[in-house]
Amino acid sequence: VSRTYWRSLAQIEDRPEYRDALEREFTEGASELPAGVTRREMMMLLGASLSLAGLAGCRRPVEEIVPFVTAPEEVVPGIPRAYATTMPFRRSAYGLVVESHEGRPTKIEGNPSHPSTLGASSTLVQASVLGLYDPDRSQSVTERGTRKSWADFVAAWEKLSAAHAADGGAGLAVISESFSSPTLARLAAELRARYPKVQWATYDAVSDESRLAGLRSATGRDLDLMLRFDRAAVILTLDADPLLTDPEMIRHARGFAGRRRAAASGEPAMNRLYAVEGVYSLTGAMADHRLRLESRQIAAFVAALAGRLGAPGAASQAGDALPGVDPRWIDALAKDLLAHRGSGLVVAGERQPAAVHAAVCALNAHLGNTGRTVSYFETRDAALPSVGSLASVVSAMNAGAIQTLVVLGGNPVFDAPADLDFASAMAKVPHSIALGHSVDETSAKAEWHIPRAHYLESWGDARAVGGPLSVVQPLILPLFGGRSPVEVLGLMVGGKDRPGYHLVRETWKPIVGEEDFDRGWNRVLHDGLLAGSELPEVAPEVRGDAFADLGKSGAAAAGSPGGLEVVFLPSPSLHDGRFANDGWLQELPDPLTKITWDNPALVSPKTAETLGVASEEVVRLEYGGRSLELPVWILPGMADGVVAVTLGYGRLNAGRIGTGVGFNAYTIRTSQAPGFGSGASLARAGRTHALSATQNHGSMEGRPIVRETTLAELESDQAARSAPAGGEHAEDAPQSREGGGTPGPLGVFPEDPHHFSLWKEHAYDQGHQWGMTIDLNACIGCNACMTACQSENNVPVVGKAQVAKGREMHWIRVDRYFSGDPGENPEMVFQPVPCMHCEDAPCEQVCPVAATVHDGQGLNVMVYNRCIGTRYCSNNCPYKVRRFNFFNFTKDTPAILKLAMNPDVTVRARGVMEKCTYCTQRINRARIDAKVAGRELRDGDVRTACQQACPASAIEFGNLRDQSSRVVKAKADPRNYALLAELNTKPRTTYLAKVRNPNPELEGVA
Amino acid sequence: MTGRTRRVLGALALASVVPIAGCARGCTSSRPPIHLNPSMDNQPKVLSQTSSDFFYDGASMRPPVPGTIAIGGLKEDTAFFTGKGADGQFVAASPVTVDEALRERGRQRYTIYCQPCHDARGDGKGILFQRGNVPTATFHQDKILKYTDGQIFDVITNGVGLMAGYRWPIPPADRWAIVAYVRELQRRRPAAAAGAQASTR
Repeated sequence: VSRTYWRSLAQIEDRPEYRDALEREFTEGASELPAGVTRREMMMLLGASLSLAGLAGCRRPVEEIVPFVTAPEEVVPGIPRAYATTMPFRRSAYGLVVESHEGRPTKIEGNPSHPSTLGASSTLVQASVLGLYDPDRSQSVTERGTRKSWADFVAAWEKLSAAHAADGGAGLAVISESFSSPTLARLAAELRARYPKVQWATYDAVSDESRLAGLRSATGRDLDLMLRFDRAAVILTLDADPLLTDPEMIRHARGFAGRRRAAASGEPAMNRLYAVEGVYSLTGAMADHRLRLESRQIAAFVAALAGRLGAPGAASQAGDALPGVDPRWIDALAKDLLAHRGSGLVVAGERQPAAVHAAVCALNAHLGNTGRTVSYFETRDAALPSVGSLASVVSAMNAGAIQTLVVLGGNPVFDAPADLDFASAMAKVPHSIALGHSVDETSAKAEWHIPRAHYLESWGDARAVGGPLSVVQPLILPLFGGRSPVEVLGLMVGGKDRPGYHLVRETWKPIVGEEDFDRGWNRVLHDGLLAGSELPEVAPEVRGDAFADLGKSGAAAAGSPGGLEVVFLPSPSLHDGRFANDGWLQELPDPLTKITWDNPALVSPKTAETLGVASEEVVRLEYGGRSLELPVWILPGMADGVVAVTLGYGRLNAGRIGTGVGFNAYTIRTSQAPGFGSGASLARAGRTHALSATQNHGSMEGRPIVRETTLAELESDQAARSAPAGGEHAEDAPQSREGGGTPGPLGVFPEDPHHFSLWKEHAYDQGHQWGMTIDLNACIGCNACMTACQSENNVPVVGKAQVAKGREMHWIRVDRYFSGDPGENPEMVFQPVPCMHCEDAPCEQVCPVAATVHDGQGLNVMVYNRCIGTRYCSNNCPYKVRRFNFFNFTKDTPAILKLAMNPDVTVRARGVMEKCTYCTQRINRARIDAKVAGRELRDGDVRTACQQACPASAIEFGNLRDQSSRVVKAKADPRNYALLAELNTKPRTTYLAKVRNPNPELEGVA
Repeated sequence: MTGRTRRVLGALALASVVPIAGCARGCTSSRPPIHLNPSMDNQPKVLSQTSSDFFYDGASMRPPVPGTIAIGGLKEDTAFFTGKGADGQFVAASPVTVDEALRERGRQRYTIYCQPCHDARGDGKGILFQRGNVPTATFHQDKILKYTDGQIFDVITNGVGLMAGYRWPIPPADRWAIVAYVRELQRRRPAAAAGAQASTR
């Protein structure tokens, strides 16, 4: 297949700035001397600073040995231990295994026995450990900004509660985040029993409320939805992003990638994904067929599709042709879905209105998917999100009916809908109490602020989707004496201070059984979940007229019809803004735009042309009588006429990292249209705002970097290969394989040239020889590997200005390529690029001090102490994976952040080159463990951080000399290819080509 | 250049070095040595058994949170981990299979941890007794001969009298190995004593 891949619009237009970026290793000015300073002056300056430093106390720091006073029996200093725990996130619960170095949690992994993670994790899970060590966490209880103690608060609460007990809690209001937790649910029920008139609001800025409402209207019950991508052969997503911003993305990605991979192994058929969406999503990037459609048109699309599918009650709703949609597209889709009854899956996005969710529920029932690819469960132990509940509390606050407001979680001053004007309502409440990780926008306005304990330092519990119960087990005592929501609610209910441990155990006594409770409880703590606590699936009756509301909601998109459509996206990094002070997440490039540290408004090239705006130009977005100024970024593949704004940025009180980064889109978001709305307009503000995007960094121009094919081509090629040998091809084949020793490339791809080396090559036939494969077919581009690597390998955060200069430090990056017409509907491919660990490494040959050399295991290792920072290696690396410490990024690390560092990995200083090590510390740990146990290393003993985190299991790592290892099997796949193999670098990391599975009936249909 | 000039220049060069290097030799100083190139010798990360400015007690190592269970730290087999049965009484016999390999392991561990006080035969005449006259129990007194296996395990784990607990340096499986070896010592004692008497005679 001959495709042209491009990384940015600047590249495809061959703009000068792109040429410049390509020909330089770093952007202009990033690696030159400051202007006006000659080399001689520079040497003088350097000499002066050196002699100053030499005189001013370069004394060896005094190191003290501080042992345990009372040594715990289990802890051996230097040997990390692992604990099972749970990260509650909205109404999901991630089962985790957290590594603890002498009682300090440092690295988070998924719990292989927990169904919500299956051993994998996501960027948010990986980065949550940094939230524990956030230097801006609040350190004490405050009353109107003055330091108080928890005991002071307890005393104050006793007074307040006495007043409220008298009138049944009529003047008491509680605002909580949604949760799914037996203990919180029990305490909330007890609170209502104690204060029958209490007003309770559950609010999430990004929520699944409309889906719950849709399922309620279709089935009459509150139901949770579990999407089983592992069972789905044909998938249709409607303005949905189940592979990225959905809280269940880990489970989805695992299931989806499992069926994606199926092509090579010849097991069940490879799935086919159709995406209909207005904003380019990660799911859309994985789609075999993607249709650009505004969010407000989705309802009409569903009606049209339901009509084609012959769903009862849908025919009347099916309008005529949808504008801009080729009827053949819907026909082919309908045919495919009908051909796969019971193994199809229709998914609607969280921002779609309830009517669409109800219709999708009915469609899945009509197609026989319910109970197979879609499972429903009773919502239990849950507080369901509801904007309405917040609105009624706010109106009570405005009416002066609330004397005491308790914010148990969340940040409503920042993220409540703009039309509610929560901040001014809160100002009318005499007593307000806010629980927060830091003194955020809400806590800053509250009378009492209580520091909130991180999940890694508090006791709690959670119920995952589908029912499995698990306990949130602390890894460390609260660093700043924080309290968990369980403890605050426990105080409100019981009137006295009780530790979370007792509150949670009390809840679990009936769950585990009073008899032999400790044994059962300890088993739950150890395993990370309660065996057999899954809920039974529910088979709901779907209302016959589930399609009836589609017409209404389609027309009733909020705002005036016409004009631009504005779509509110949850941030893949900050979600709703709660992770804003996490440097790892701020610096993580957006999977699609590759922008760091910002949230521009996304528009399609055609829309930008119509409006006359360019990327980085600041615009005034007018919508519903409110306006927001923010820069524009042109993202090819967006639906025309759509402006997408990302939520969670523009925090005012986030901390030293997150305050003032980006633009607050909540200021134009209303409770009527939390997902999207019509009638927006854009006007140029006449200035620009520089954005730091990494999309052109590390470019490898024009060479066959990404390879992809279609399932049909792959199958025909395989058939040709398995045909009896004979004829000319049989003679050709061995020759082409001679050079590399790996199987020859696939017929549909260009042949690798025959290689010979200029010097004597190493044999690498002793011991372990490590290698890696990355399956581009499985990779969804979610960036989990990047955050996992950052956490494992102490990779520093450099800041927006440095990223703009190309100095980001990520050891593994995820390159994103477009192919196709930028103005229309280009396709996307993701390619994670770590160090290739070339056997003939170009970097090693140019290092003047032998700071980068090969070891006996085939690893290309960096000897940091030898490095003098010439950066020749980086210059000579064809893959651009080497990272240079231009500054001492870790010099002023606060004491608390030192705790987050992996003690097994060097923290690099200024002037040192660094890069992926294949997690050499993990290799060594596994080798020592195997040696202590007196056995050989087994396949799977060593797992790199990126491999372990990958929710799609796209990465395999292992010993190339072990013929039974998974990595050897992966390399035997005909899709296996090496990056820039013609350079004869012999990379140890190779890729498996991407395979698309287009519908033959849609050939030539846009 | 005359020799004199050369000497002056040499002295000047030396004099210019001295202020930078400080008094490297021949002077006493309570300050740590000069270390010109730090080169990542001291990194902003926390190693085991180090101090930390962050925690109130100055220690970077934190004890596990009470009530938590690490993976692999589930002690459901109470007899194995505490030497006590479900009824809270010491178990009469070791919960692990006693064989020659276990006794050999026990002998090794005994030599490392127990022999300095209890001596090779378990008479309590170890080096500590010889040098410091510290009273050390002999295994061959009636009281200890009547101990159950669980009770001996408990003594190793938690200590008794002057003896400290060895729960931290010796893992439970090795403690049971030592119990097996102590039993072996007690069994061999009458024969050994008889042999000793025979030789003195």
